Amino acid sequence: MTDLVWLVPLLPLIGFIINGLGFGKISKNTAAIIGCGSVFLSLIIVAGIFYEDLGRGGEAVQKTYFTWITAGNLSIDFSLLIDRLSIVMMLIVTGVGLLIHIYSVGYMHNDVGFGKFFAYMNLFMFSMLVLVLGANYVMLFIGWEGVGLCSYLLIGFWYKNREYTAAANKAFIMNRIGDLGFLLGLFLIFKTFGTSDFQRVFSSVQSFSSGDITITLITLFLFIGAMGKSAQIPLFTWLPDAMAGPTPVSALIHAATMVTAGIYMIARSNIMYALAPSTSEFVAVVGALTALMAGFIALTQTDIKKVLAYSTVSQLGYMFVALGLTAYSSAMFHVMTHAFFKALLFLGAGSVIHALSGEQNMRKMGGLRKHLPITFITMAIATLAIVGFPPFAGFFSKDEILTAAYSHSMFLFVILSLTSVLTVLYMFRFFFLTFFGEFRGTKYQIDHIHESPKSMTLPLLILMVLSAVGGGLGIPEALGGKHFLSEYFNHVFGGNTRIQSHEVSHFFEYGLMIISMVLIILIYQFTKQRYDKKVIGKSVEELKMSLWYKLSLNKFYVDELYDKIIVKPLNGMSNFFFNSIEKKVIDGAVNGSGQTVYFLSSMLKSLQSGNIGFYVLMMVIGIVAILFFSLINTITL
Amino acid sequence: MNVVIALTITGILNLFGSIFSYRKITPLLSIIGLTTAIVFNSMYWNTNQSFFNHMMVVDNYAVAFGTVCMVLAACLIIFYNRFMGDNDHHLPEVLSVIVLSVDGAIVMVSYTNLLMLFLGVEILSISFYILAGLKKKDLGSNEAAIKYFLMGAFSTGFLLLGITLIYGATASFDLSVISEYVKLNSTSTNYLLLSGVLLILVGLLFKVAAAPFHFWTPDVYQGAPTIITAFFATVGKIASFGAFYRLFQMCFSPIVNEWSGVIMVVAIITMFIGNITALQQKNLKRMFAYSSIAHAGYMLLALLSHDYLGGNAILFYSIAYGISSMSAFIIIHIIQTQTGTDEAMGFAGLVHKNKTLAMITAISMLSLSGIPLTAGFFGKFYLFSSAIESGYVLLVCLAVINSFIGIYYYFKPVIESYFKDSITDDVIKLKSVETILLIFLSIATILLGIFPGLVPAI
Amino acid sequence: MGNVSLIVLMACGIGFCGLAQLVSKLIAPSSKNLQKLQAYECGVPTIGASWIQFNVGYYLFALIFLVFDVELMFLFPWAVVNKEMGITAFIEIVVFIFILFLGLLYAWKKGALKWM
Repeated sequence: MTDLVWLVPLLPLIGFIINGLGFGKISKNTAAIIGCGSVFLSLIIVAGIFYEDLGRGGEAVQKTYFTWITAGNLSIDFSLLIDRLSIVMMLIVTGVGLLIHIYSVGYMHNDVGFGKFFAYMNLFMFSMLVLVLGANYVMLFIGWEGVGLCSYLLIGFWYKNREYTAAANKAFIMNRIGDLGFLLGLFLIFKTFGTSDFQRVFSSVQSFSSGDITITLITLFLFIGAMGKSAQIPLFTWLPDAMAGPTPVSALIHAATMVTAGIYMIARSNIMYALAPSTSEFVAVVGALTALMAGFIALTQTDIKKVLAYSTVSQLGYMFVALGLTAYSSAMFHVMTHAFFKALLFLGAGSVIHALSGEQNMRKMGGLRKHLPITFITMAIATLAIVGFPPFAGFFSKDEILTAAYSHSMFLFVILSLTSVLTVLYMFRFFFLTFFGEFRGTKYQIDHIHESPKSMTLPLLILMVLSAVGGGLGIPEALGGKHFLSEYFNHVFGGNTRIQSHEVSHFFEYGLMIISMVLIILIYQFTKQRYDKKVIGKSVEELKMSLWYKLSLNKFYVDELYDKIIVKPLNGMSNFFFNSIEKKVIDGAVNGSGQTVYFLSSMLKSLQSGNIGFYVLMMVIGIVAILFFSLINTITL
Repeated sequence: MNVVIALTITGILNLFGSIFSYRKITPLLSIIGLTTAIVFNSMYWNTNQSFFNHMMVVDNYAVAFGTVCMVLAACLIIFYNRFMGDNDHHLPEVLSVIVLSVDGAIVMVSYTNLLMLFLGVEILSISFYILAGLKKKDLGSNEAAIKYFLMGAFSTGFLLLGITLIYGATASFDLSVISEYVKLNSTSTNYLLLSGVLLILVGLLFKVAAAPFHFWTPDVYQGAPTIITAFFATVGKIASFGAFYRLFQMCFSPIVNEWSGVIMVVAIITMFIGNITALQQKNLKRMFAYSSIAHAGYMLLALLSHDYLGGNAILFYSIAYGISSMSAFIIIHIIQTQTGTDEAMGFAGLVHKNKTLAMITAISMLSLSGIPLTAGFFGKFYLFSSAIESGYVLLVCLAVINSFIGIYYYFKPVIESYFKDSITDDVIKLKSVETILLIFLSIATILLGIFPGLVPAI
Repeated sequence: MGNVSLIVLMACGIGFCGLAQLVSKLIAPSSKNLQKLQAYECGVPTIGASWIQFNVGYYLFALIFLVFDVELMFLFPWAVVNKEMGITAFIEIVVFIFILFLGLLYAWKKGALKWM
């Protein structure tokens, strides 16, 4: 099967070509079969590769097909690297990808652009697989750009809506800012090592000393690329806007796979990052701040997909913290579990939106557990998984990152713990607003409410199982488990001698688990009280006020105190972050630089007066300047 | 040498098309002539022959650049017929001028004597002055022709003066003699020689439209008939760069330190002026004029690399840029004739009018902005890596920033054609040969973006 | 040494010209009147503005004249080496003149030689 690895990206590409050329001509059923079938075949091959790799014991295999580019002494091969890192990524991409493809068959059923949708999705699968399989930075970059392009196309999928195309543009431009960094890093890699092949770069990087300035620069540039792709401060604002795309797209691209490309890239370059402690530090701090900030913002969002989007940003921040702490296998673990539960959450949200004929405002939902039983159960599991309730998947991966943070720096640990609390808060708020209480929507919606078709619920159920048991791959030793995943990754990260140990005492781990469990239960109660109410159709403030009084009447002063010292400031800060920092500072900076360029542009434009005498004068000034410049140049030479 | 002779005969034959009344077959004749010339040209591959008492040498460099120019000219002629309905009674003459200007381009990429360089530049330029003024009744076209002519004549003066000064310093027009002289005298600055080099530089910078000698470009590109603009932007630019690189790499590379500073500064200014001004242009032809200025800025980077890398880089870039801007301009012309506007809004809803055309627009724009899996990406990649190899890291950083600014305006037509609704519902119909040609250009763009090795090393 | 002689030569040249002017100024009789102070132009004095539109035909003639002027310029060096190069030179010049002849033919056929 390993010999067939070239088919893995090729099959979706063929799917793209057939669906892309036949768009409008082939029937919806055929398009769906081609779209899902190609991904399914890829998944089978990946599974075969995975099995063979287990038998082989995890040795990396590099398949070189042909010399792709030669320029002087620089040559780039078209080659694929199959090691355990790429295998895990491939499994996630094809596995989750297949489920989302199947889901899309139901979700997009009534859309006129059905065939186009599958074509784009297949193109995305191709690019993403090239990204994870490429054996050098150039191929990684090609895939990187490819997924960016597909993301652009899919965010703007419903192009009739101006806002959506604006969101697509925003995503594209922000990503390109990141890509700028990536490209500079790529050139610097060429200059330093004379090659972009992973294995050769990593073997020659060993001779550099820790903290070498070139390596620091390269890693920093690459991280700028990751910031754009994986939505970190300050380039994160595109991701919530990207929710304009169809929900399966949000699930596949903006939650499970594409946004983790930055994490994959850093994990892939772990040897370089371990050599650049200052960059790693920076990565961790940026990750932690992003996690906290996005968590705050998620607290007050009312759009069901926006909550999940900010939550994704926040979780990506976690992964970057892990990367910065050189806990690479923990980061990959979280990538995997996050792919399961976040895809599930998005698909569940999609199912809700589908049931309510396109309603996305959580204030107009409520009480849906009766109407959408399957969605409700799966979402419940997903919520438990993301808040980190044992024994669901999120618990183990998050726990690993937290212990790593604790062993490294108290500052990061505090921020991450705070973020965990926020995660629990906003997730339960989301959960209760959607599924509990009484329905607050229109009469029309309640009449047309319906559980989603089989093609949508089946992926939900499968993902639910994965979210529930996915954590089993990495049970910490404190619980007497065996960490399969870190052993599995030993072949990839084991060679990196600079990875720090993250050992903490078992006592601390027990403590952490117990505290987190207690906290989750407490917050569960708290949010249940707050949101599981039969309040119907009231505005935000009224909702808050009435709750406020009920709480103070029915409960003790303690509750009020909690509300005052925790919820209010949190809400306030959340609003503050959302309104001032995100809206003003970040968007302002982005728009500001755009305006500067525009201003320059109009200045330069006015030079072009059309007066030929002026042109000639400028030419003469140019010539004189050149001669003068050269004169000085030769004198100083 | 057969290529020049074939082209000249084709040109002369075309000229008599209107007199001996075979004007209907002149496009066919031109295509046949160009094809013959391309075949002759490719037979010189790897032969390295010298012609006309060592006035020209046909090495791989000349063959590659010559082929690119001739193929692009052939594409243009296929489309020319359709576009110039109002000017049809001059068809044979125009075709003749186009073919003869390609002759000039061939001379420009294969000269080994400064006189031949001058001759080539003049053959090309004079043809261009005529072509710019093709629409006799159109004020813009007249303005373009006269502006181009005046400024072109002005810059030719500098080119000629430069050649004279170099003759004064080296007592020869022959490139090999000059290069020997420069090599022997590279230790100390020879001001006579350096002034000659700089003046030639000025003359050639004008031809490639680099700042601050770029002012003619937007006015001329906008005023000239679009299909002719396509010719200026592709064949004109590629031939000029062919001549530029040949001269500076063959002769003046030993004293690179004395002129590299100028090129660096000019390249930076050119890139920024081109890209930043293009942002605000509503008229697409003007926008592409600025974009072509920006591309000239990128291509100047190749001149700085001091080994054979630069030649390959500039060749690849020329091909990528030539193909994409050729199809871009052709599409602009199609849109212009259909909607009557050459502004970006003319592209609105193109996807509903003609799907193929919209896709070709997208591909050529992606290539021009240098997105991977298109030829443009590898063009930039080669250029930048050749400059990096020579140690110009800062310059490449600026170039990369510029190429990202460029994306913004290259996406305008794409966004218009995919995400906006059209004003009219008319379907754009193309002849099958035209569609095939455009598709061929797009496939070439993609193919070169996936297998850049298809372009042979020179 | 070379520079000194150059400077001496320049000084002599300027001096000689200046001297001639000075002498003629000193010894020539002068009578200034309106007629005499007029700028000298060949032909009759102009009437009206001199910026008028020419018939484009003039340019055509000028261009065609230029072509054959250049032809002649090439014929002279050819004549010098004709004997040494023999039949090759003869064929080449015939081709050259033939091409120019085609140009003339074109101009003629297009009516450029007709006065209008």
